[in-house]
Amino acid sequence: MKLKASKSKAIKERRKKSDDKQKNILEMLKSHGAKVYDDLNNGQFPKFSIPSRSVSNIVYDKKLRQYILGNNSALRSSKNSAQLRSFTQLMWLAFFANRLTHEKKSSTLRDVYYSSQAFAVEFDDQSESDNIIVDLEAITSKPREDFHIFPEERSSIFGDLNIEYTIPGYEGKTMNLSNHPDGYSIGPSLTTAELVNTSAEIVIAIEKGGLFTRFVEEQVDKKFKSIIINTGGQAPRSTRTLLKRLHEEMKLPVIVLTDGDVYGEHIAMVIKSGSANAAHLRELTVPDAKWVGVWATDIEKYKLPTIPMTESDIKRCYDLQKDPRYQDGIWKKELDVFLRLKRKAELEAFSKYGLTNITEKYLPQKLELAKSL
Amino acid sequence: MMSSIKETFNQISPSEFFYSNRDLAGFSNPTRSLYTAVREFVENALDACDQKGILPDVHLTIKAVDPDKSDPKPYILTVKDNGPGIDAEHIPLAFGTVLYGSKFGLKQARGMFGLGATMAILYGQITTNKPVIVKSSSDGKIQNQFEILLDIQKNKPVIVKHTTKEISRKGLSVSICLEGDYSKAGNKIRDYVYETSLITPYASITFDDPKGQKFSHPRFVKDIPAPPTIIRPHPHGIDVERIRRMIVESQFEIPTIDDAMITKVRKDLALSKKNLSFTFIMDKAKKKWKNLPRQVRVVIALMSFLKMDFEKLNKIRIEDIDMPNKKLFYWDFGDSQSKSVEMDPESQYYKQLSNTVQGEPLTTFLTKRFQRVGPTTAIKFAEFAKLKPEKRMGTLTNQELVNLSDALQKFDDFMAPDSSCLAPLGAEPLEKGIKKFFNPDFTAVVQRPASAYSGFPFIIEMGIAYGGDIKSGGPHVYRYANRIPLLYDEGSDVVIKVVNETDWGRYKIKGEPPFIIVSHICSTRIPYKTAGKENVADRQEIERELRLALQFLSRKLASFMSKRGQAEMAKKRANMYAKYIPLIAEFCTELAGKKKEPNFQKILDAEKTSQPKLVQEENEIESK
Repeated sequence: MKLKASKSKAIKERRKKSDDKQKNILEMLKSHGAKVYDDLNNGQFPKFSIPSRSVSNIVYDKKLRQYILGNNSALRSSKNSAQLRSFTQLMWLAFFANRLTHEKKSSTLRDVYYSSQAFAVEFDDQSESDNIIVDLEAITSKPREDFHIFPEERSSIFGDLNIEYTIPGYEGKTMNLSNHPDGYSIGPSLTTAELVNTSAEIVIAIEKGGLFTRFVEEQVDKKFKSIIINTGGQAPRSTRTLLKRLHEEMKLPVIVLTDGDVYGEHIAMVIKSGSANAAHLRELTVPDAKWVGVWATDIEKYKLPTIPMTESDIKRCYDLQKDPRYQDGIWKKELDVFLRLKRKAELEAFSKYGLTNITEKYLPQKLELAKSL
Repeated sequence: MMSSIKETFNQISPSEFFYSNRDLAGFSNPTRSLYTAVREFVENALDACDQKGILPDVHLTIKAVDPDKSDPKPYILTVKDNGPGIDAEHIPLAFGTVLYGSKFGLKQARGMFGLGATMAILYGQITTNKPVIVKSSSDGKIQNQFEILLDIQKNKPVIVKHTTKEISRKGLSVSICLEGDYSKAGNKIRDYVYETSLITPYASITFDDPKGQKFSHPRFVKDIPAPPTIIRPHPHGIDVERIRRMIVESQFEIPTIDDAMITKVRKDLALSKKNLSFTFIMDKAKKKWKNLPRQVRVVIALMSFLKMDFEKLNKIRIEDIDMPNKKLFYWDFGDSQSKSVEMDPESQYYKQLSNTVQGEPLTTFLTKRFQRVGPTTAIKFAEFAKLKPEKRMGTLTNQELVNLSDALQKFDDFMAPDSSCLAPLGAEPLEKGIKKFFNPDFTAVVQRPASAYSGFPFIIEMGIAYGGDIKSGGPHVYRYANRIPLLYDEGSDVVIKVVNETDWGRYKIKGEPPFIIVSHICSTRIPYKTAGKENVADRQEIERELRLALQFLSRKLASFMSKRGQAEMAKKRANMYAKYIPLIAEFCTELAGKKKEPNFQKILDAEKTSQPKLVQEENEIESK
């Protein structure tokens, strides 16, 4: 009984938390709407101040260990004929997000592009509507997922994690994420679900779907008490949000395993400290996440079969050398080695030594190493 | 000596001239020849009417002799006008000899010497062997009809037929048969008629073409521009050679003292035929001095030093009058030797001779021979030129002549050239014409003040128009000189040069704009590059005036474009507000959780009444 009571109490608390979050969002949208409403009523052209996302206004914050926007902001005024259209689009998006949030419905970026047409608000293409969505994020400092807008690309998760849905029709329903061997796709329902409990002690984010399947087959979740996440290349923001929550709410360390090339290194970096593209948002980073491989030094150490870097790979190396986050530690060291080798190796390269080599030999060593990183 | 200013008829050169100059005169091939012939006759008709202040009615007809033949083939070209006509006695010479013209003297006219029409007649005769048919009535009662052939070797008219009949109106009709190519020349001829009617809005011009099409351009301006007057040259820009010629004109030759001259002197002094003493003649001359013509005065002055009566005078020949040494040399037939007498510089007769031999004083020369120079200006100029006002023109050295010519060009206090010899169309009729022809959204015209090049006054008139019925791909340039449209060789024309050198972007004109430029150069002499009269040379004074006119008009066009741009922008903005503000209102109402929409009409109304202005907030970045 006592257990049941405490459980229901926890559920209540979680529901309240989720409701509060939604209430916050709705309040914020309402206050923006009210301001515009009052301006119009007073015979004034409404306007927004939007933090500038130009390159000159993106700075690296050492304390936060991520990119953030500087103090510059641009005014978007409905009086300016060059901005009137985008102002209207922004207003529509806020209006649309408000409906989504109220009705607890989710939508994709593509949906947003098409939905606008029902309201006589035109977007030339999806990139224009995507841009307006980022404007709304910048104004509210909230990721689009908070407004129930999700990207199409899906990454997946597998492991002993109990969640409780909050989306309409599934409220209170729970699910264990190790029930289905293909993993669970990280969509709106999972992103908004409450994380109830887990037996795992670590989260392993892995760059590739093929390796994710291998890890599930090899029961890496059980052998290493881990939750496995397939980032599907550069981790989508919903996945990064989930990683952050697993780290903060479940107190799980996060390690990242990528291909042994400069892009892989940067996938890990984005999980750790975000991207310049999302400098207007602060809930997407896991500063304590650790990149454990495949390192450039691993290529030599494990004698991995390699392929030569392309010109764009090399250019990327030089670009990243200028990034303030690559000025020290393994980030700098590995980048330098990549540049010296001018070769790269994929995760699959371990198959040279047998299909299970990566899970039986490489992973344990890296997990051990991670503790000291 | 001022007789060149009267209309006179002169025979100048033989008609073989045609063969060596047909290219120059625009008769190089059947296409060009047909076009040139049309031009020459239409321009003569318009000139004749202009000079007598008659509103011109000009009818042009071109008919194929055999319509089924293929081009080039013979055509009959007829141009009929309602002008003053030509007296019957002048017709054979006027139409049957080359370079027989009435258009000499300094005033603006379309043609220069009336040469072109004879060239056209000659070309017709050479290619078809048909006479020119001239029908003329100068009194409105009798019409003389001539059929004339040219005798090319003798440069003389051969009258084939001459008839008269009664008629009720004045006018001239000229008809020639000539080899032409209308299928190729047709476009240019139609353009020519069309463009002529734009610059001659007071004329009614019709054209019946060989294909049976009628083109009618009725007059739309009832006032004929003031006809030009004949005037003296302006001192600005005149050259040394022209001054030299004017000095020669101004100097009086020492008359040959022959029987005829002595008879004249006797007559003017009212003397009898019998021999008279030297003193008696001198006394008589003194009394009548004031009324004596210059030639007679000179003879008397010479006699005073020679101390001879008429009989003795008959036996000598004046050899030289040496003014600096005050000596008079003469040849004595009787003694068969050269003799001389001293001249007394104190004598009044010495002054008379000195005037004659050394020419007019500078100030007299300036005031008499040039326009716009009064005695005060002449004296001021003499000071400027560092010449004595009383300096005799005949005593100027070559270097002094060059200095004088330079000074004439550099002296700024001459009044602007007298433009009474010019007949610009006038800004108002030009504007009216442009509006009628192009129905544009914007029109501006300007008439520059008169200016001069090489002593010839000129006036630039220019019009510019934008939008309306004008085709895109502009500027389309319509060039005119002395009311003649110039259609060929535009590449090398000074107007095109000035237009091409204009940076239209500076005047807010971009892309393929629908706009036209009408340029009219009026001058007593247009500096054509060729005798074909199709392109104007880039004389620096003319180029400058063209540039100033075009700049003035372009600035006006720019301000129109910018107002139009602003108006379009304001309209576009108003449309945008009307479209988007209601949407914003709709969205924010639901967002704010309100039932009633905000009253956004205030904004829309306020924006409608406010003047368009730049929005300061455009792309503004503020630092918090």
